[in-house]
Amino acid sequence: MHDDSSTDTPNPEPALPPASETSENRRGFMEHAAGFAMAGGLLAGYGAFACHSVRYLYPVEVGKSIWQFVCTLDQLAVGESIPFTMPSGAKVVVARQAEGDTADAFVALSSVCPHLGCKVHWEAVNDRFFCPCHNGAFDATGAPTEGPPAAANQYLTRFELAVENNLLMINVPTEAIVVSQSEATS
Amino acid sequence: MSGIGAWLQERIPIRGAQLQELTNEPVPNHLKRWWFALGGTPAYLFVVQIVTGILLAFYYQPSAKTAFESVRYITEEATFGWYLRSLHKWAATLMIAAVILHQMRVYFTAAYQRPRELNWVIGMSLLMCTLLTGFTGYSLVFEQLSFWGATVAANISDAAPVIGRFAKEMLLAGDSYNDRTLSRFYILHAAVLPTTIIILVAIHIAFIRLHGVTELQFEDEPEDKPRHFNFFPDHILTELIMGLVLMILLSALATIFPATMGPKADPLTTPEVIKPEWFFYVSFRWLKLFSLTFAVLSTGFIVAAMFLWPWIDRVLRKLTGNEDISVYIGIVATFLLIGLTVWEAAVAH
Repeated sequence: MHDDSSTDTPNPEPALPPASETSENRRGFMEHAAGFAMAGGLLAGYGAFACHSVRYLYPVEVGKSIWQFVCTLDQLAVGESIPFTMPSGAKVVVARQAEGDTADAFVALSSVCPHLGCKVHWEAVNDRFFCPCHNGAFDATGAPTEGPPAAANQYLTRFELAVENNLLMINVPTEAIVVSQSEATS
Repeated sequence: MSGIGAWLQERIPIRGAQLQELTNEPVPNHLKRWWFALGGTPAYLFVVQIVTGILLAFYYQPSAKTAFESVRYITEEATFGWYLRSLHKWAATLMIAAVILHQMRVYFTAAYQRPRELNWVIGMSLLMCTLLTGFTGYSLVFEQLSFWGATVAANISDAAPVIGRFAKEMLLAGDSYNDRTLSRFYILHAAVLPTTIIILVAIHIAFIRLHGVTELQFEDEPEDKPRHFNFFPDHILTELIMGLVLMILLSALATIFPATMGPKADPLTTPEVIKPEWFFYVSFRWLKLFSLTFAVLSTGFIVAAMFLWPWIDRVLRKLTGNEDISVYIGIVATFLLIGLTVWEAAVAH
């Protein structure tokens, strides 16, 4: 086989691309740039709209709570407890565990199971709070004794308490659900 | 008559024969066996759900104050309301069962393997959408079990890492179930999820059309017989028979076991015995067996593995040299699924 290329003739100087090719390259570049700009604009526009939509759907009231009056300090002796009704209608037992005029002397246990949010109830026979959802149990101080809360060492939540001018105050969530018309008006 | 025909032909310029040619495709013979036609069953039931769902929406009022009362009105006062609600409930039950059976058929015949991996992923997404639709629909009744079921489910998502808290707050419209929660369930159940399902089903069917149905040859089939039959009208007729049987079955179930009303939701008291719908018994029992973090993470891991199974299967076959390794895993998983479901169904706590 005869090779008649490169050996006999010197390499020609690399020729400049013809004018039409340059303009085609330029047009191609412009087309790509315009395409990217349009796609970018669309993406930014729809992206901003998507962000606004998610922000709109995200609830405004998350985590809002309110301080409410429970009783004056002299109304609650050591070892006694009084019921307190939250804005949601749920009852919280507020008890005094010790002498003293600070919030540490009092305790208010939430009835919401820390596992998955069901309501616990007091079982007098077994001397425990019991959660029917996944068989969680807590002793009178809110410490977990059985079920998933015991496995994960989850205590019953204690509401924040404060003493101000001899008044016992409790910090409770404002979020509530009104299930019937009569409850809404009462 | 021919005048009307010509008028139509001019405005819709396609002939019946052309339409048949466009929609027709050869269907492998094994689809004459009904358990291979299970994919059409949830599609049919989905149409039943859309029709009965639209009818129920005429009376349903999605707010905590009115939801339970409006469902009671549908069930006890509206003419044939009990029948339509029962049809909706039973079609949902059968749809979930059919989707699971269809998926098991695809799994055990390894129809998810190359090049159909993406259609398996679409199918898994459809399963997730179907379960979510079932969950949100059950919550709309606003009875004790559905209220506490929704509370538990939202708190489960709270336990998921990174996006858990955000997902819970988006689902409940707040930290806990509140006055704006039910409308979210309603719009998810009646608009967002059905639209997603329609889009996914369209892609699912398009993929089936592009790839064709997986060919299976059974030992008892003679070699010389034709291996395919026509989609139209033969396969359509098979689906029609299934549709008729389903309608009779649905009607019978709705009449013999109509949907009832439990006690109204009471956000202050969790009932002594609480159960989700039957298709969540597995995860409910799983949650009782393990700590929340482990239960949620393991469930997420299992679902992710199911999505990626076509690729996991390939790796497993290479590693073990056993072509049927996924079948053995599937048999164990099925027994586990049935075992946990029966366990949860049999005991109160």
